[in-house]
Amino acid sequence: MTASGKSGWWAALRRPSAKYSLLALLVVGFFGGILFWGGFNTGMEATNAMKFCIACHEMRTTVYEEYKTTIHYSNRTGVRATCADCHVPRDWTNKMIRKVRASYELWGKITGKIDTPEKFEANRMAMAEREWARMRATDSIECRNCHSFEAMSQEAQKKTAHKKHVEARQQGMTCIDCHQGIAHRLPRGFRKPGAEEEE
Amino acid sequence: MKITLLATAAASLALAGFSANALALDVEAARSLADQNNCMQCHGLRKDKDGPSFLKTADRLRGKPNATDEVLKHLTSGKEVKLADGTKEKHTVAKTMPANDVAQLRNLAAFILSIQPK
Repeated sequence: MTASGKSGWWAALRRPSAKYSLLALLVVGFFGGILFWGGFNTGMEATNAMKFCIACHEMRTTVYEEYKTTIHYSNRTGVRATCADCHVPRDWTNKMIRKVRASYELWGKITGKIDTPEKFEANRMAMAEREWARMRATDSIECRNCHSFEAMSQEAQKKTAHKKHVEARQQGMTCIDCHQGIAHRLPRGFRKPGAEEEE
Repeated sequence: MKITLLATAAASLALAGFSANALALDVEAARSLADQNNCMQCHGLRKDKDGPSFLKTADRLRGKPNATDEVLKHLTSGKEVKLADGTKEKHTVAKTMPANDVAQLRNLAAFILSIQPK
C-alpha cells in the first residue's frame, strides 16, 4: 500500500525510486538499452542469413536449388546476392514491416501449406505474384540496392538489352516488370507481359 | 519362329511407345523456359522483333533431319547473330533449372519447330 493508497505492479513502477539515484538509473538504463538493442538487431540479422532461410526444407529443396543455378548465386566477379538481399529491404522501417509480414510464413509452416513439392507448385503462382506485387510497390527497392539505370553502361551491355532498358526507363517501368523468375523458376502458366501479344 | 516374331513385334511397339513419350512436346514447359530466358523480348511466335520469329525459324528448318539439333546449338552456343537492324551481337545462352538440362532445351527446340502459320 502506497501513501496515495494505490498498490500493485503499475503503482510500483510509477513510484519514484527511494533507493537508487537518478544517475544510477540512467547508467543502468543506458547500458541495458544498448544490450537490448544489440541483441534485438543481432537476432534480426540472424533471420537475414541464408542458412536461416534454407533451414526449412520448403525453401531448401525448391527455390534454393533453383537459385543456385543463377547468376545471382555464382558469377564471374564472385558477388553473391543472398535471399535477404532480394527479399528484405535494407532500411530499418521497411525491414521491420517485411519481418512482421513474413511472420505469417510461420503459420504456413505450422499448417504445412507448402510442405510437399506438389503443394509448393500449387501455390507457386500465388506466392510469386505476391512477391512481385511487393517489389513493384517499392520500385524494386532490393534490386536497386545494386542496380540502377544511371549506372548501366551502354558499352558493357548487349545492344538489345540496352535498348530494352532505355525503353523501360522511358515508360517508368521497374526491374521486376521484366525480370520475374531471374532467380527462381517461373510458375507454370505464367506469361511475361508482351508474350501473348500475337496470340 | 512365331514366338520370335511376336516378341519382336511387341518390343517394337513398346519402343515406339517409349519414343513417342520421350518426344512428347510439353508446350507449357517450353513456353515457360522461353519466358525464363526472356526469349520473347527478341522473338515473337509469329512476329519478327530484333530477332526472327519462331515461325520463320520453323519454316527454315522444318523437315530437315537435324532441325532440332540445329535449334539446340543456336540456344546453347552463344554464337554471334544478326539483328533486324543489321548489327550483330552474341545470342543469349539459354539456361535451365536444373542447369544444363538437355531434355528441357530439346523440348524448347521442338516447340520452336512446331510453330505453324495461323
